[in-house]
Amino acid sequence: PFFVNRGGLPVDEPTWERMWRHVGRIHPEGERVAQRIRGAADLPKIPIPSVPAFQPSTPIPERLEAVQRYIRELQYNHTGTQFFEVKKSRPLTGLMDLAKEMTKEALPIKCLEAVILGIYLTNNMTTLDRFPISFKTHFSGNYFRHIVLGVNFGGRYGALGISRREELMYKAPVFRTLSELIFDFEEAYRRCWHTLKKVKLGHCVSHDPHSVEQIEWKHSILDLDKLTREDFRKELERHARDMRLKIGKGTGPSSPTKDRKKDVSSPQRSQASPHRRNSRGDRRPSGEKKPADSKAMPDLNGYQIRV
Amino acid sequence: MEPSGAGRKEKPKAREPAARLEKAKQKSAQTELKQRQRAEIYALNRVMTELEQQQFDSFCKQMQGSGE
Repeated sequence: PFFVNRGGLPVDEPTWERMWRHVGRIHPEGERVAQRIRGAADLPKIPIPSVPAFQPSTPIPERLEAVQRYIRELQYNHTGTQFFEVKKSRPLTGLMDLAKEMTKEALPIKCLEAVILGIYLTNNMTTLDRFPISFKTHFSGNYFRHIVLGVNFGGRYGALGISRREELMYKAPVFRTLSELIFDFEEAYRRCWHTLKKVKLGHCVSHDPHSVEQIEWKHSILDLDKLTREDFRKELERHARDMRLKIGKGTGPSSPTKDRKKDVSSPQRSQASPHRRNSRGDRRPSGEKKPADSKAMPDLNGYQIRV
Repeated sequence: MEPSGAGRKEKPKAREPAARLEKAKQKSAQTELKQRQRAEIYALNRVMTELEQQQFDSFCKQMQGSGE
C-alpha cells in the first residue's frame, strides 16, 4: 500500500495511527517497533538542516552538490507514509509553497517530493535548466515508478533527486548528451535487476517561483519495448533539441516526428509543444505498482527491490 | 452624558488578550506536537531504513549466490 498524509502537519490522528499500523504489519518485530518509539523520552534530537545559501561566485556544479547534500540530509522516507501531498497538476507557485513547507518542517521525503524541492532550491540558478525525468521499470513481476530532476548546465546533463538506491538519484552534470544520462540510469537499474520499460521526459521548468504554469511532466513518452536502441537514443536527443529550441525562442516548435499527436491538453498549455508518444500513455501516479504478466524471478522471500 | 458605546467597548478589549492567549497556547501545543512527531518519524525511519538495507543486502547475496 501507498499512504499519503493529506491533512498537513502535524499529522492528524487517523493518519498517524495508520502509519504505525502499517509499520506493525511489515516489520518483522511487528508492534514492538511502535512500542519502543512512541512516547519514548530519549529519542535523539534531529537538527533541522539549513537550506543551502550561496555566494554569487559559487559555481553551479558546486551549488548542485550542496542542494543534493541538503536533500539527502532530509533522508529517504522508508516509513511507508508520505508526509507531503504533491498534486502534480498544481501551478508551480503552489508547488513552491509546498517546497518551502518541506524546508520548514524538514521530514523524510520520497522521489517526487525531492523533485519539487530540487526545483525550489535551484530557481535562483537561472543558467541551469531543470526538467523532470520519470522512469517505469519492471522487476520480478511488478512495475515500479521513480522520478528525478534532470538538469542541464552549459550543455552538460545531470540529475538531482532521492532514491532508496544511491545510483538512482544524484548525477553530477558531466554527461555530454541527454542519452548518456538516461543510459547511465538504465545501467544503474540493470545493476539492481530492474528492466527499464518507459521514460517520460518533461519540459524545462520556469525559474519563476510565482509562475502559475503547470509543470509539463511528460512532453516525451518513450516506450523501450517499442523502440530500437538507436530510435530510443534519437528520441532522447530530439527531446533535448526541443528543450533547447524552447529555451532559445521562448516558445519554439518541436522537432518534426511522424508519431506526434495533436495537443489536446487544457488551454493553459497552449504554448507548450505537443505531447510526443510512441505508445499509449500510462497515467498511474508515482509510487504505485501494477502486477505484470511476465516470468517472475525466483521467490526470494518475496522481497522486491524498490527504488 | 456617557458615550453610547462606552459599556460595549470594555468587553471586546477584555476578550482580546484572552483570545490571543488561547491562540498562542494552541500554536505552542501544535508546535510541540510537530516536534514530537518529527522525533518519532526520524526514529522510525532509522529502523525502517535498516530493515530495507538488511533485506537488500540479503537479496543481493542470494542473487549472487544463485549466479543471477
